[in-house]
Amino acid sequence: MHPLFSRMLSLLILMAGGAALAASVEFTGVGLGIAVGALAWLIWDTWRAQVFADWLHHVRDEPDTPPPPRLDNQRREAVERVQRLLRKQALEAEELENHLHNIQSALQASPNGLVILDEQECIEWCNRMAYEHLGLNNRRDLSQRITHLLRAPALVKSLAARDFTDPLMLESPLATASRPLRLEVRLLPYGQGRLLMLSRDITAIEQAEIMRRDFVANVSHEIRTPLTVLAGFIETLQTLPLGDDERNDMLHRMTQQAGRMKNLVDDLLTLSRLEGSALPGTKEWTPIRTLLERLDTDARAFSAHLVGQNAPGHELVLEGMDTSDEIAGSASELQSAFFNLINNAIRYTPPDGKILIGWQTQTNGGARFSVQDSGPGIAPEHIPRLTERFYRVDSDRSRASGGTGLGLSIVKHVLQRHDAKLNIESTPSRGTCFTVTFPPTRVRVSGSEIDDAD
Amino acid sequence: MIEKHLSSQFDSDLNSVCTQLMEMGGLVESQIKRAIHSLTNFSLSEINDVLDTEARVDQMEIEIDRALTAVVARRQPAARDLRLLLAISKITTNLERAGDEAYKIGKRIKSLVETGETRQMPIGDLRVATDLATDLIHRALDAFARLDVAAAISIYKEDDLIDCEFKGFTRKLITYMMEDPRTISSSLDLLFIAKAIERIGDHAKNISEFIIYIVHGTDVRHSKLKGIEDIVQ
Repeated sequence: MHPLFSRMLSLLILMAGGAALAASVEFTGVGLGIAVGALAWLIWDTWRAQVFADWLHHVRDEPDTPPPPRLDNQRREAVERVQRLLRKQALEAEELENHLHNIQSALQASPNGLVILDEQECIEWCNRMAYEHLGLNNRRDLSQRITHLLRAPALVKSLAARDFTDPLMLESPLATASRPLRLEVRLLPYGQGRLLMLSRDITAIEQAEIMRRDFVANVSHEIRTPLTVLAGFIETLQTLPLGDDERNDMLHRMTQQAGRMKNLVDDLLTLSRLEGSALPGTKEWTPIRTLLERLDTDARAFSAHLVGQNAPGHELVLEGMDTSDEIAGSASELQSAFFNLINNAIRYTPPDGKILIGWQTQTNGGARFSVQDSGPGIAPEHIPRLTERFYRVDSDRSRASGGTGLGLSIVKHVLQRHDAKLNIESTPSRGTCFTVTFPPTRVRVSGSEIDDAD
Repeated sequence: MIEKHLSSQFDSDLNSVCTQLMEMGGLVESQIKRAIHSLTNFSLSEINDVLDTEARVDQMEIEIDRALTAVVARRQPAARDLRLLLAISKITTNLERAGDEAYKIGKRIKSLVETGETRQMPIGDLRVATDLATDLIHRALDAFARLDVAAAISIYKEDDLIDCEFKGFTRKLITYMMEDPRTISSSLDLLFIAKAIERIGDHAKNISEFIIYIVHGTDVRHSKLKGIEDIVQ
């Protein structure tokens, strides 16, 4: 039966029943029957409406709920339309959520700390780097006013004046003495009085900048000192009539100063070449014995030059001369690094002292080169800084003996390029031992080329 | 940090006092940091900065007290709001004192630098105490912003470490003075500096007591740590 027809019919019956009931009491039996039928129908219809309403209520939370059973067609139609609408809405919501999630992930991936501030300068969202940089937590610190947690006066001032033109250099609240953390913080206004806060780690940049400044200052100072001396001598020679002896003495000292400048420039060039050139590979092998023999000759010549021809000079002992080891890398670089170590030992050890130069193969296949002297030793506080450029324990003494202040920096660079490590042990007034340790990949026994198949 | 009131103006009044307090905290924090930094680099410009900040901190203390009076008079706060306002007043006093200690450190370093007797003194031994003191003040202010009771209790515990450092340092200075009476005047300067650092730790501890007061409504001043932990649980 057509639903519309059945409904019309029910309605008609209801109306007829009502009219009959009102008109006459003679048809009581019929009227009662009609009234009961209408009531039953009303109850049934109300129950169906309730089922529909319940379903509507339920379906709001779960759009995929199946339609309730026993519904007439109009209601079924409504159910379908509602379901379709809800499904579409859910899809759109999901899409939006995915979109938001993607944007948040992108912001999380940023190497910069990101903090979104609302109109009241309260934290609305921040990424993980904001925690690393500023200690702000995306859960704990939301809707906290930013100046309550980042209290640096510069930031507070900039926010109060709403002046965001210049980036701020702040120390991170997480910085400690052992782990400095300097940040560049930018505030970018957007929308209606809202702010985006960006933080960038500039610790390394600042340190590099300080190093560069120190280096330029040091180089200028080191070059100016001999230049001043030279200029002074030249002026003297120009203005004063001098005897031959005095003249020769002066020229001799001028030569010394010029030599010092040349050494300095040579060392600087060596350093810049070491920094700029390609890493020495493991193709070129040099016998250690050749290196040691050359070092021995050079060391004896240098000692004799320093002490004078007639004096006995330092006691130089070489150990491990009979080795058949070979080493991979640049022979000239290694030669100059080793000689720098020996040169230091000779310069700082009194003429009657002993210098022990050694080569030992290690059980793991690596090897050690060591230079041990009986000099005055180095106080422990200087040791970590020895390889810094122009770092001098005793500057007068170092210059007097012809040092440039760059020797150990060169050594450190060369060794880094050869995967080797420099270790310095020293006891004041007993002597110092410089040890260079090479890894097994850089050392082989002569004639064992098969090892080097790669 | 503050729950909503019927009057949003009240909320904004409370918030603005808190913001003022945190700004003052930031100033004192940076003052302490710079004072301590100048202990290692003896930079006169940094010391002068510390000394100059003092006036600003004093002025902020007065401003905050005035704002507090205005809020109390206008709103007649009760319960937690009242505790918050009372605590802010006390914290301000403590911060101002901590700033004073930084000022004292600056003054003493200045006199040390001017006499040129900084080299042979054991200033490096203050390192642990100075790091602790700056950290405690920083964490105390963070804990106030977050009303974080657990953090407040951890500050309470760590203050003892500074006291220990102070005692050790005093003993060291005594040996210096006994060995060489010429170091007495600079040793005394250093002793006052160490005392100032120790006091900064105490002020951080006081601030943490007020945080517990705001949140739990119990005055934990002069009570034992055990008692405080019981109250909080």
